[in-house]
Amino acid sequence: MESVFGLVGKGFALVVADSSAVHSILVHKSNEDKIMILDSHKLMGASGEAGDRAQFTEYIQKNVALYQFRNGIPLTTPAAANFTRGELATALRKNPYMVNIILAGYDKETGPSLYFIDYIATLHKVDKAAFGYGSYFSLAMMDRHYRNDMSVEEAIDLIDKCIMEIRSRLVVAPPNFVIKIVDKDGAREYAWRESIKDASIPAA
Amino acid sequence: MMKIDFSGLESAVLRSCPNSELFDGISTTPSFQIPSTTDFDGFQKEAIQMVKPAKGTTTLAFIFKEGVMVAADSRASMGGYISSQSVKKIIEINPYMLGTMAGGAADCQFWHRNLGIKCRLHELANKRRISVTGASKLLANILYSYRGMGLSVGTMIAGWDEKGPGLYYVDSEGGRLKGTRFSVGSGSPYAYGVLDNGYRYDMSVEEAAELARRAIYHATFRDGASGGVASVYYVGPEGWKKLSGDDVGELHYMYYPVEPTAVEQEMTEVSVA
Amino acid sequence: MSIFEYNGSALVAMVGKNCFAIASDRRLGVQLQTIATDFQKIYKIHDKLFIGLSGLGTDAQTLYQRLVFRHKLYQLREERDMKPETFASLVSAILYEKRFGPYFCQPVIAGLGAEDKPFICTMDSIGAKELAKDFVVAGTASESLYGACESMFKPDMEPEELFETISQALLSSVDRDCLSGWGGHVYVVTPTEVTERILKGRMD
Repeated sequence: MESVFGLVGKGFALVVADSSAVHSILVHKSNEDKIMILDSHKLMGASGEAGDRAQFTEYIQKNVALYQFRNGIPLTTPAAANFTRGELATALRKNPYMVNIILAGYDKETGPSLYFIDYIATLHKVDKAAFGYGSYFSLAMMDRHYRNDMSVEEAIDLIDKCIMEIRSRLVVAPPNFVIKIVDKDGAREYAWRESIKDASIPAA
Repeated sequence: MMKIDFSGLESAVLRSCPNSELFDGISTTPSFQIPSTTDFDGFQKEAIQMVKPAKGTTTLAFIFKEGVMVAADSRASMGGYISSQSVKKIIEINPYMLGTMAGGAADCQFWHRNLGIKCRLHELANKRRISVTGASKLLANILYSYRGMGLSVGTMIAGWDEKGPGLYYVDSEGGRLKGTRFSVGSGSPYAYGVLDNGYRYDMSVEEAAELARRAIYHATFRDGASGGVASVYYVGPEGWKKLSGDDVGELHYMYYPVEPTAVEQEMTEVSVA
Repeated sequence: MSIFEYNGSALVAMVGKNCFAIASDRRLGVQLQTIATDFQKIYKIHDKLFIGLSGLGTDAQTLYQRLVFRHKLYQLREERDMKPETFASLVSAILYEKRFGPYFCQPVIAGLGAEDKPFICTMDSIGAKELAKDFVVAGTASESLYGACESMFKPDMEPEELFETISQALLSSVDRDCLSGWGGHVYVVTPTEVTERILKGRMD
């Protein structure tokens, strides 16, 4: 089952997501990237209905880019979070998007930040957040070991603990996870945690 | 051959046997009257809803080098209302055995007391204490015989017997699992998160007690239906002993002291984010 | 579970002698799971006017943003702050606009009106105003709050005593509610100053 979570450390924020694309009893693929790189310094981890997730995150990404083209400056992380919330809230009473979002970003003035936005558009700034069934295991784990001055190594260590716990305790635990990071140098993929590989297609 | 007591299923004729009154309900599995209604299932459903407090719970138990550690919170809730903050969820079956309580409070209390009686009778009949394995099986068999009738029990039987420490998980669906580490209740996933990570077999009693307490604390923080007091019991070769009972309201500020600041939160123009 | 109880909240406002106090809990939850313990439920409209929004978090945020917008327009047009009575009517009107698809919020409004006369009021989710001379409550802990306030409230309290009373009422009430608590937030407003205090509470 889907698990997306994230935390803020000293000078960076991390977002982790499982990478399973599931339909009822079928696993379509196990290397689906659910963390979108919104712009140079923003990450958007999303869980929820597959179609809504892809549509909505891309819509936000393009609008964030549009803002940057029009105004020549990027949106700050809180601005992007509020924009995302606004869009979700408007959609909520028309045709709701079933997506839960963890938005991480790095701003020059304020440093790293993490925002919790659920599918009904509740927005809150947090230092650790989790969605899905994995949240039950990872939240307590993060509460126990989290510090706000964690180094990247310490944070990754904590995230690995959470992934291990999800893999061992969750009934239909996703096999693979992707970890992305955002800091002063930008948003990028950090690592994968794979326990099964998709069969690679031999190059023709 | 397992003997299941079906006397409760017979129509309600009061058993009047003056001589056996002393043993009535002690030597045998208690039997209950069945409601005289045409819609038994509907009646059951309603009755279950009326006796369903103590649903939110966090309990845990684990075996380690020195014995078994058992811990629980103390909250009972009905919907969003907290009906008690001082429930004893760790039931002392006998000096060497503990049971934990999750699910229906009355069901747990009654059947643990009942189990206590059976264990004592076993002791008198056989001149030796019942094993944890045996005791948990007694309970599981009783619960299984009432399966589908609305009992709600999720319990761990922890104790020390001739073979050393023992731990079983038993529930009202008839399940019975042997293990070294269990947590039951709505807060259990949170407790597992802390427990799995901090667990080592060769812990000292102090370390184990702290791990148990901490796991309960973190569960009460995240789970709205768990809270109150984190009680920790230890079962060793000498029987069980209550090690601590800490108000989690105080535990939080012990684990995370508040750093004094002048103003914690400035009010800003746009306060949402 | 009612949608009003999805996030959990406790709100109370009390009138004192030429002053008022408004207090809330700090929990943001998703049903029984606690997401954060620094969620804001009381918002400042201007120096002598506050609104607390209990109920569904997302609607509270949307409603607050719309109210701020309308109040700013009023300020521009009238070159003055809104009177609490006027603001209550505005809130009521905005709520009734959505009569057939309401905001799932129960607001509590508290302010100092003409000649610094305290004003408190609450309303249901579709804007039926309910004025009170002593205290008003809202949220998942409202039943306990009624009991606490009913027994603890005295008329014409000075600011210090009012703070003590509202804090004790709030803290004892949320101790009987699974879905609210995790600390408290209190404002005491007199004609000359606003005091804001964070209350330590049971974190379970």
